[in-house]
Amino acid sequence: MKLAPVDYFILSLYFAFVLGIGWLARRRVSTSSDFLTSGRSVPVWITSLAFIAANLGAQEVIGMCASGAKYGIMTAHFYWIGAIPAMLFAGLFMMPFYYGSRARSVPEYLKLRFDEKTRTLNAVTFAVMTIFSSGISMYALGLLFELVLGWSFTASVLLSALIVLIYTFLGGLSSAIYNEVLQFFLIVLGFAPLSILALRRSGGWNGMAARIPAVMTHSWSHVRHASENPMGVEVFGLVAGLGFVLSFGYWCTDFLVVQRAMAADSMSAARRTPIIAAFPKMVMPFIVIVPGIVAVALSQMSLGYAIPHKADGAFDYDQVLTTLMAQFYPSGMLGVGLTALMASFMSGMAGNVTAFNTVWTYDLYQGHIRKHAPDSHYLLVARVTTIAGVALSVATAYLASHFNNIMDFLQLVFGFVNAPLFATFLLGMFWRRATGHGAFAGLLAGTAAAAATHGLTLAEGKGGWLGAVIQTFPSTMAQNFWIAIFAWSACFAVTLLASLLSPSKPEGELRNLVYGLTDIPHDRALAWYQRPVFLAVVVVVLLVALNLLFW
Amino acid sequence: MTDLRAAIGMFFAVIGLILTAAGMVLPGRAPLENANVNLYCGAAMLAFGAVMLWLAGRGRRSG
Repeated sequence: MKLAPVDYFILSLYFAFVLGIGWLARRRVSTSSDFLTSGRSVPVWITSLAFIAANLGAQEVIGMCASGAKYGIMTAHFYWIGAIPAMLFAGLFMMPFYYGSRARSVPEYLKLRFDEKTRTLNAVTFAVMTIFSSGISMYALGLLFELVLGWSFTASVLLSALIVLIYTFLGGLSSAIYNEVLQFFLIVLGFAPLSILALRRSGGWNGMAARIPAVMTHSWSHVRHASENPMGVEVFGLVAGLGFVLSFGYWCTDFLVVQRAMAADSMSAARRTPIIAAFPKMVMPFIVIVPGIVAVALSQMSLGYAIPHKADGAFDYDQVLTTLMAQFYPSGMLGVGLTALMASFMSGMAGNVTAFNTVWTYDLYQGHIRKHAPDSHYLLVARVTTIAGVALSVATAYLASHFNNIMDFLQLVFGFVNAPLFATFLLGMFWRRATGHGAFAGLLAGTAAAAATHGLTLAEGKGGWLGAVIQTFPSTMAQNFWIAIFAWSACFAVTLLASLLSPSKPEGELRNLVYGLTDIPHDRALAWYQRPVFLAVVVVVLLVALNLLFW
Repeated sequence: MTDLRAAIGMFFAVIGLILTAAGMVLPGRAPLENANVNLYCGAAMLAFGAVMLWLAGRGRRSG
């Protein structure tokens, strides 16, 4: 792929704008809470778009297009059943506790609700995981740009990291959130034309569907048995593993996204954030997944387009998005497309950096290292942490380029730690008898159950390290769904039992933290179209319609 | 700070202008596409930018 001067001009214009937004946002920062939580002052349309943009990293965009080419429209389950119900739940039922408790982070909520050890366990694993995922995403981007454009890996990694560093250093969370809105629009306007043009070339939806296997254009008709679909998943694993455990675990407890809602300017805005975000989230598959599906149809049409191969002969699905851009975008729009890819990378990375920053400064540094310092000290720590977080991400990107196996191993371990989380929050928020000892024991048990499930089962040659193999899964995806189901169940059961065996907190300490001891906000003062429940009902109707349409 | 809508509107208006100009001046076509992609996408972004700028202006007037 060859870029023209106009493409480079558009890319540099984008860099200038994100830095400019950072420069303007810096004026709003005078305390650590301005820097780390935006002083709870961001309007709802901005937090909503930032909520999905922070999740829409480069790995997500490239990976979803790749999965589209590999699995077809079933990939949309990661957006529909695998996100929307959890986003609605987060807005309707969990935000009253997160926002109402005045906690500054998700781990801090755990500290208020349970105890210090539960908070620290969650904060440490979250902080490490955030740095690693930002590094891995940076590595993927550097690799892609090296392969497609011939840019040096070091140059693209360092330049993009430096720009994210400058704007998050200047304006903190506000700067990251404002830029995420710009990045969101750029991702949509940069990728949507690709989807439309490619679909038109293959003869529209029906023309495309006629050229590829039926399983690629149906999301639900081939999931009765794992053998019917290329994902190798069946309906229970899909609904319980992805739709419940993994999805609720991510959208309801991951501070990366929850932080955006917590920055909203009122309780009602915080509750509406994930619900309004669900509208664009629902249609994202048509922008990021459909191009991958069309690519398969185009490769059947003797147009000279073929899905790229790796050196070993296997398909290299990660290159589908960029090769399609080269086929459909002329110089100019090609620059916008690549800038959109860069924007998705930056929104993901800035999301990681700002979330890491808050957890490190408030939960680990203030919680354990210096408890009672003046606020200016924590603002300084937060600024230094921004630099450290970016530097650690870059280091991780290099580590990933040399030791791919370590990265795979770490991602596996993080999966074990994350899988049970939602059980802890669910019991913590809705059962006042749940205790700190119970939560801590439950989390450990859930992680152990996840590891044991992986050790006792086999999928695509992965797992089975405990000697005996009880079950063989048709795909690692199915294995992951079932690991999540067992981890969640173990955490739920152990938290329940251990809580009953340990003394509970007095009710006075649980005010605004648990259902039954918290004033649930009334929506009567709001106009009908602003009420969270009304918006959620509209989302559900649209979600059902989409699933029926692509059944 | 300056209204975010103004910043976003300005960004897309400028990108839209560049693309529209490129669509009119450069003969470049993509390998699999005969339509003038730059012109159409440029016009769309220009329109989006204009709407954002209009919203920002309206917001400023009303306070």
